[in-house]
Amino acid sequence: MGALLRIANLNVRFPGATAVENVDLELRRDEVLAVVGESGSGKSVTALAVMGLLPRSAAVSGSVVLDGREILGLPEDELRRVRGARIALVFQEPSTALNPVERVGWQIGEVLRAHGVASRRERAARTAGLLEQVGIPPERARDHPHRFSGGQKQRIVLALALAADPDVLIADEPTTALDVTVQAEILGLLRDLRRDRRLAVLLITHNMGVVADLADRVAVMRDGRVLETQDVEGLFSSPRTEYAERLLAAVPRLEAHDRPTRLTKTDEPVFAAENIVVDHPGRPAALDRITLSVAPGEVLGLVGESGSGKTTLGRVAVGRLRAASGTVRLFGRDPAGLGRAELRALRRRIGVVHQDPAASLDPRRTVLDSVTEPLDVHGVGTRAERVARAHALLDQVALRPEHGDRLPRELSGGQRQRVALARALALEPDLLLADEPTSALDVSVQAAVLDLFTELQDRHGFACVFISHDLAVVNRVADRVAVLRDGRLVELGPARDVLTRPSALYTRTLVDSVPVPDPVAQRSRRGPDLEVPA
Amino acid sequence: MTDIALRAGRTPRVRRGALTRGRGLAGLVLVGAVIAAGVLAPLLAPYAPQQQIPGANLLGPSGRHLFGTDEVNRDVFSRVLYGLRIDLGICLVAVPCGALVGGLAGLLASRTAVADVVAQRVFDVLLAFPPIILGIAIAAVTGVGALPVICVVVGAEVPLFGRLVRTSVLKVRELPYVDAAETMGASWPWVLRKHVVPNILDALIVQLAISASGAVFIDSAMNFIGIGVRPPTPSLGGVLAAAMGQLGTNTLYAVGPLLFIVVLVLGFQLIAQALLASRRGDA
Repeated sequence: MGALLRIANLNVRFPGATAVENVDLELRRDEVLAVVGESGSGKSVTALAVMGLLPRSAAVSGSVVLDGREILGLPEDELRRVRGARIALVFQEPSTALNPVERVGWQIGEVLRAHGVASRRERAARTAGLLEQVGIPPERARDHPHRFSGGQKQRIVLALALAADPDVLIADEPTTALDVTVQAEILGLLRDLRRDRRLAVLLITHNMGVVADLADRVAVMRDGRVLETQDVEGLFSSPRTEYAERLLAAVPRLEAHDRPTRLTKTDEPVFAAENIVVDHPGRPAALDRITLSVAPGEVLGLVGESGSGKTTLGRVAVGRLRAASGTVRLFGRDPAGLGRAELRALRRRIGVVHQDPAASLDPRRTVLDSVTEPLDVHGVGTRAERVARAHALLDQVALRPEHGDRLPRELSGGQRQRVALARALALEPDLLLADEPTSALDVSVQAAVLDLFTELQDRHGFACVFISHDLAVVNRVADRVAVLRDGRLVELGPARDVLTRPSALYTRTLVDSVPVPDPVAQRSRRGPDLEVPA
Repeated sequence: MTDIALRAGRTPRVRRGALTRGRGLAGLVLVGAVIAAGVLAPLLAPYAPQQQIPGANLLGPSGRHLFGTDEVNRDVFSRVLYGLRIDLGICLVAVPCGALVGGLAGLLASRTAVADVVAQRVFDVLLAFPPIILGIAIAAVTGVGALPVICVVVGAEVPLFGRLVRTSVLKVRELPYVDAAETMGASWPWVLRKHVVPNILDALIVQLAISASGAVFIDSAMNFIGIGVRPPTPSLGGVLAAAMGQLGTNTLYAVGPLLFIVVLVLGFQLIAQALLASRRGDA
């Protein structure tokens, strides 16, 4: 069968930069074509160009042919008839894709009305059918978006996209904002929809697991160009380009691996919590009777979905948040009972790395200022010694001395996170809190930062509470793993046991929900009942 | 605060860029010209402000009397220049005072919940009073003069700066880099000095420019209705008020002082807009 959507020689230029260059893609009916690439590779710009949704400042040339008809450069009113009816778009963030003040049923009806369904009764019937198809009870059409969870909202967004019965669905990172168990549900739904409606899906994603789970063919993009396009099995088993190979190698995996254990059981733990409870008034407990400890030199992975309490527990662990009840021991002492000077001395032994590299450095201070800050705060040595120490730290995180004079906005995301690491290690801490340190980074950058983290941990031997929603990332760095759910500790044990042979049912669901970056293995994991007919 | 502004080094470069072209430059030139006129009044003014010139009653504009003369034979141009000195003086004292008091109140409000409630309610009360009514109330206690005008301008600025500083501090405090600094043991004064002040300085400077234009306006209005500087001492608002009765005979008697008020307000507004635009582009 010929191509339903054919993109040929597409070029998109913004003033001062070329975003997409000579892109050729073909999408057939009943096919999922994944476009993968890191940030800035041009994958989203390509999708927007197809929809004619780029800002006016963009110069677009080339050709986009839908079912034999050129749609690039169509006048706005004709494009409107293509959008929705022929090609629909699903964005990443479901919470902003729905209008918060209108009922979801009305929003779907709106799409139907825009595409010529005049009768109110027919709109209601079609809306109910669509909701049912995406697994939302039709009677909930009368609810407003805030009554739905993130996964349910993404289902409704899908219903919205499918309302005018399009042939092509463009999904731009449709599961990136979702928890892993919800992601698994949405992927299952996408698979069913594609089969039932013979949809052609252009899937834009950075997640190789999602690609392996859903895609038939894959196009790898980098710097605005398509490097290679081939079958999903082919790409994963024998990538043709070196970049694709590197990209695949950088994906963290959930396989058991042995790392030398650094636990010295006899040592006093750097952090110990016994039956701690943290609650916010009027809401369920953020942490409910948690007991765990972190040994010197140990990396404890904290995993869980959003709202599980992992960040709260991390803040308790570094003495930034007090427990309402239970006992907390930080380096053997209760931080709540310490005076100001003692607390300062305690804090000297603690470092933190945050998630968002853009916000974790003061935009007005140079890299050198940021890295010397902990030394300045504690008045360590002379100014010259502090600068020398900062340069040594920059060297350890593989940055050059001249980076020291730059402002954060002049660095890439990965470089900023290296600076944050250098700052956290400036005082040779005994305990490091890393709260989702790589979630905002591209896969290959994430791999480099994780390697660096492991290397530094080996060298300095600090204990670490490593928070992540990504089980594979935790698997790569953690000695032990604690699984949290709704503020409760579900499972705690050595990383290889918890992540490869989980004993708690919830952990097993969590592990099974992570799509494996290997199409063959992922298909067999999914089981026969979900098998897509060939 | 100026100390930190100077040491922050890199940041004023952006601002200077905003004031060396376009709107910013135009604003700077306008404000600079008016300030220069005020400062150089003794040199520029052809007559003393109170000097009564025999035979020059309500003359129209001419080479000898740029804005004509008033009903008691004084040169309007000279009175406007000297009035300008007083108005600029009031703004120069009142705006920084208001900014300082408001800024400190905002800082205090961002520290504890009790201070927050108290400061916020005081701001509410101050904002609820129209400045003119507030001025009349203060003048009833202190008598007319420069003092009630200064009090009103300060009273109008305090809530603006208080709210601005409070919200900016609360916003900056939540950012990860402040959290990182506090976790590794930085004290509150350290965080304030190194992170908070440099990061809210831009917003403060924009607000200063906006407030300066507002202050000129309030000051002129107070003098106009007669609760400010007492005649025969000249002020822009005072000269304008006296001119109202003579609009038919000497139009420039009223237009002259008005021109200076408008140019000053416009200049400060242009500066504020240019700074704001460069800040947005910067972010």
